[in-house]
Amino acid sequence: MTSTDPYSHGAGMADATRTEPVIAVSALTKRYGDVVAVDDITFSLRAGTVTGILGPNGAGKTTTLRLLLGLAEPTSGQALVFGQRYAELNQPVRQVGAVLESNDFHPGRTGHNHLRTLALAAKIPESRIDEVLDLVNLDQAANRKVRGYSLGMRQRLGLAGALLGEPQLLILDEPANGLDPAGVHWLRSFLQRYAAEGRTVLVSSHILAEVAQAVDQVVIIDRGHLVTTADVAELTRDGRTLEDAYLELTDGEHS
Amino acid sequence: MNATLRAELVKHRTTRTDLGLFSGMLGLVLLAVLLHGLTLPADELASTPRQLMVFGPGQIIGTLFAALLGAMTITAEYRHGTIRPTLLATPKRAKVVAAKIATSATIGAGFGLAAGAVTAGAATSTLTARGIDIQLDSSDYTQLIIGGGIAAGLWAAIGGGLSAIFRHQVPTLVGLSAWLLFVESLLGDNDTIVEVGRYAPGAAAAALTGQDPDRLLAPTAGLILLIMYATAAALAGTRATAHRDVT
Repeated sequence: MTSTDPYSHGAGMADATRTEPVIAVSALTKRYGDVVAVDDITFSLRAGTVTGILGPNGAGKTTTLRLLLGLAEPTSGQALVFGQRYAELNQPVRQVGAVLESNDFHPGRTGHNHLRTLALAAKIPESRIDEVLDLVNLDQAANRKVRGYSLGMRQRLGLAGALLGEPQLLILDEPANGLDPAGVHWLRSFLQRYAAEGRTVLVSSHILAEVAQAVDQVVIIDRGHLVTTADVAELTRDGRTLEDAYLELTDGEHS
Repeated sequence: MNATLRAELVKHRTTRTDLGLFSGMLGLVLLAVLLHGLTLPADELASTPRQLMVFGPGQIIGTLFAALLGAMTITAEYRHGTIRPTLLATPKRAKVVAAKIATSATIGAGFGLAAGAVTAGAATSTLTARGIDIQLDSSDYTQLIIGGGIAAGLWAAIGGGLSAIFRHQVPTLVGLSAWLLFVESLLGDNDTIVEVGRYAPGAAAAALTGQDPDRLLAPTAGLILLIMYATAAALAGTRATAHRDVT
C-alpha cells in the first residue's frame, strides 16, 4: 500500500491526508499583462513535511503562494489546498495558517486585539489568543500597540495569527526576513517541531542558509518556471551543499 | 451576531480612528455653525429656510465625516496590509465588504445624529443669544437630527463602496471631501446646472434634513435617491473587490 501511494512516504504523516496531497498545484499560470509571473508550474506536497519554495527575487514564489491562498486568481491552471480552492474551504483558518507579509497590522492596534479580530472572524474562542501569544513568546507585549514592535516581534505576531486555528498546513512567505540569528534558530526549530506532529509547512525564501537545515524538500522556481522538486537529501547526496545544487540548477536556466 | 460583523465592530473599537474622526467632526461642526450663526446679518435670518442655512453646514460636516469613516474602514486595510489576514480569515470577499459597509453605516448614522444634535444646540443658542427669534419648530429639529443621522449612515455606505473601488486612502478621502464641500456647492450655486445638482448625492442628503426646500428635492425623494446611491456604491464596491487580486 505505502509503496504505491505517491504521497505516503513522508515521516509522521497524518492518516486523513493519505489519499490526497495537502497542496496540489497543477499547470498553474499567472500573467500580469505581458509578464508571466508563474508559468505552468506543477507540484504537490505530502503531509508531515517542511518544504522550501526557493528561487531568486522575482522568481514567482510569492505569486504562487498568493494563488494558493486565493488572494490572486490564476490565469490558468489550479492551486488547491486539501483538494479545494482556498476560498471554498469551510473553515480556512482551522485548515491553513498563512503569513504573506511581515507587517500586516494596524500600527495603532495592540497585538492582542489584532488576533482578536481574526479569532472573531474565524469563530475561534478568544482563549486561544493567549495560547498562541505564549507560543511565539509575545505574551509580555500583547497589550502594546504594534507600532512599538520590532520586526522580529511583528514576524512572530504574524505567525501567532497563522497558528490561531491550529491548522494542518502553514504557509509562510519569507518568514526569516529581518530576524536575528537567534530568531532564525527559533523559527527553524519551531517549524521542525510543527511538522513532526504530522503537519505540513511550506516556506518560501531567497536566502538558502535560512532554510537549508529546516526543510525536507525543496521546490525551486526561477523566472516563473519550476526548475525542480526534490528531497534535500537527494540533492545533496553526492557531497554537494544545497547551495551548490541550487546555483547549478538556477544558473543552468540562465545560460 | 454574524462572525464577520463582530470582527468588523471590534476593528472599529480597537483603534483611535473612529474617536479621532468623531472629535474632528464635532470641532468642525461647532466652528461652522458658530461662524455662520455669528456672522450672517440678523435681518437675513428671519425665515425658517434662512435659519436652516446656519444649521446646514453642521449637517454637511456630519455627512462628510461619516463618509470618511466608511472609506477608512476599507482603505486602512489596504494601507496597512491587514486586508491580507482579513481575507485569509474570511475568503468570501463579499461578506467582508458587506460587513464593513453595515458597521460603517451604523456608526456613521451615530456620527450624523451627534452632528445634528450639536448643530441644533449650537445654532439655536447662537441665534437666541443674538436676540433672533427661532422660527424652527420641533418637526424641523427632528428632521434635522434624524434625517442627518440617516443621511450620514447612507453616506458612510457610499464612502465604503467607493473606497472598495479606489482602495487608495489619500485620493479617496480627498475625493470625498472635495465632492461634498466643493463640487456639490458649485452645482448648487450655478443656476444653469442646479436642475442636475439637486439630484447629486450630497444634495439628496441635504434634502433629507429639510434644507433649502425651494431648490432641493422633497425629503422623501431625497431619501429614496440617497438609498439608491448607497446601494449602487455598495454593490459596485463589492463587485470590484470580488475578483481583484490582492498584492
